[in-house]
Amino acid sequence: MSYKSIKTRVIGVDIKKDITTYAVVDIRGTIIAKEQFQTTDYPDISDFVSELSNRIISISEANGGYDNIRSLGISVNSGNNYTGCIENAANMPWKGVVPLAAMLRDRLGMAVALSNNAHVSALGEFVFGSAHGMKNFIVVTLGSGMGSCFFSRGKAHLGADGFAGEIGHTKVADNGRLCGCGHHGCLETYCSARGIEATAHELISTTDLPSKLREKSDFVLNDIIDCCKADDPLAVETMKRTGKMLGLGIANYASIINPEAVIFTGRVAKAGDYLFEPAYESFEQRVYKNLKGRTKFLQSILDNQERDVLGASVLAWGIKEYSLFK
Amino acid sequence: MLNNNTKSKVIGVDISSERTIFAVVDVRGNILDSDSIPTADFPDAQTFSTELSDRIVSMMEKNGGFETFHGVGVSTPSGNHLTGCIENAPNLPWKGKIELAALLRDRLGMAVAIGNDAHLAALSERVYGSGHGKKNFLCIKIGMGLGSCFFSNGHEHEGGRGYAGEFGHICYKEGGRLCGCGHKGCLETYVAHKGIIMTAEELMAESNEPSLMRSLAELTPRTISACCDKGDKMAIEVFRRTGHALGMGLATYASLIDPEVIILTGGITNAGKWLLEPANEAFEAHVFGNLSGKVKIMRSTINDEERDVLGASALAWREPEYSLFK
Repeated sequence: MSYKSIKTRVIGVDIKKDITTYAVVDIRGTIIAKEQFQTTDYPDISDFVSELSNRIISISEANGGYDNIRSLGISVNSGNNYTGCIENAANMPWKGVVPLAAMLRDRLGMAVALSNNAHVSALGEFVFGSAHGMKNFIVVTLGSGMGSCFFSRGKAHLGADGFAGEIGHTKVADNGRLCGCGHHGCLETYCSARGIEATAHELISTTDLPSKLREKSDFVLNDIIDCCKADDPLAVETMKRTGKMLGLGIANYASIINPEAVIFTGRVAKAGDYLFEPAYESFEQRVYKNLKGRTKFLQSILDNQERDVLGASVLAWGIKEYSLFK
Repeated sequence: MLNNNTKSKVIGVDISSERTIFAVVDVRGNILDSDSIPTADFPDAQTFSTELSDRIVSMMEKNGGFETFHGVGVSTPSGNHLTGCIENAPNLPWKGKIELAALLRDRLGMAVAIGNDAHLAALSERVYGSGHGKKNFLCIKIGMGLGSCFFSNGHEHEGGRGYAGEFGHICYKEGGRLCGCGHKGCLETYVAHKGIIMTAEELMAESNEPSLMRSLAELTPRTISACCDKGDKMAIEVFRRTGHALGMGLATYASLIDPEVIILTGGITNAGKWLLEPANEAFEAHVFGNLSGKVKIMRSTINDEERDVLGASALAWREPEYSLFK
């Protein structure tokens, strides 16, 4: 590289439990190239790092050259931005504390930043999505689990050890459903995909609301959403109950944070108004009066497949450039 | 411009429903002079501002003169730092929106900054107390109400409109006690002054067991905790329930913020171990697993009388210097 040149691209990586997506992204958030592979094919972390490094080198060479890549950002479950490690991820194949950022930096010879998917999603929304121009907002990810990240004065709040934003593990019910974290009554046990499925099963056995879902024994979230669209009474009631819990949990959150908006992402958010109308109603009933009518409930305008890759690219721009080869 | 006049002092003002304290504070947080006026004697905000300004000017003249002061900081319930107003304070004599910063600035001719008491208690802890050197911490105030403020990345989080930190109004029990804010089951109705008295009354009505509380002339958190000190079982149960509610609330708060430390302030914390031990127990039992055993819960080490005045003085230093007379 000469003194006149500047690197104009970064790599954004989104590691999910089934699929890992990586992309070359430019300054304006244009995805130049994007590819994927199965995370589950690499139960050993060293094999995973080798595969990912090789793929990153080839996608870079094919899209403007490795020399033009400034840095790398990674979104991963339980990623800790402070340490660059994956820490005790419940859903990932790799156990314990994995120093993924350091491993990739060694292989690739460039700066690597890593953080958890809630933080990265919020960054994506902040720079390229629904939160653009806001300073204080919350991004809530509703998927298999429930995570969140909020911004304070235009900066992500990560907390003392990087564990902030565990909205899914705040209590909304006394002696409620048992959560994977070991506690009872966590918000996640009602509002995540699995929680919604459990609510539907409960309604099937405790009510006689008619439903197409009764014909299937192993329905999943998408089936419930599809049934809502066909005005299935039980499916609609399921979302109503979910929305009530969600509104209550978010009201507690908002009373503490006073956000300009709460932005929802993830596959549960696809339920749209079936979920968010009752959720907003319950939120307005419960939030502190100063905030009533002053907090927006938004669905993300970013594509679910692209948000975390874009957020990871923002993360990559945020660290100091470094190259082994100069 | 050569100038040897370093402004080395500020005025800190602490407005509460009974008294308004104003003090001369130097750069190191030494209170050099202090006086007060009864807040309730001034039903009108204009006459209050005039009297307070007169008293502040005489105090400044007595302590080195007007030109040696940098500015004025004011701590008040329902104070909004972003607008400089007192907004709908339920416990102060002035209703609606009072532009106190402007009223005082006009009369004094120097910079005036306003913050709410929870915010300035936290700032005080950050600059002069247990929050010194901490970037992410919570400061909780338990008195007539239950307020809070937290620091994020080394600055106080105020939220989109300056209303953040309404910890007292998160939901503790759905459909529970009616709160002054209009909702039911707010944490404040279980943890703050009136809530504790109500818990005591409930316990006394539930059974015929003997208790020292039954013969108290006046039932207050202070007299109840005095009964605890004498080993009264029912009084201890009052604070056990209060502590449990507090600990549950703190667990929710901490799961969202991931603080290094939680600092407890306000009159109710004088109950000491009767409150703090059950609170800590409930906290550890309900906080997200990653944080259990990591977050310190402690009582403030700053004198209750001085905390808000010191916080107000710290705020005064942040305001750019301004003088009408130069």
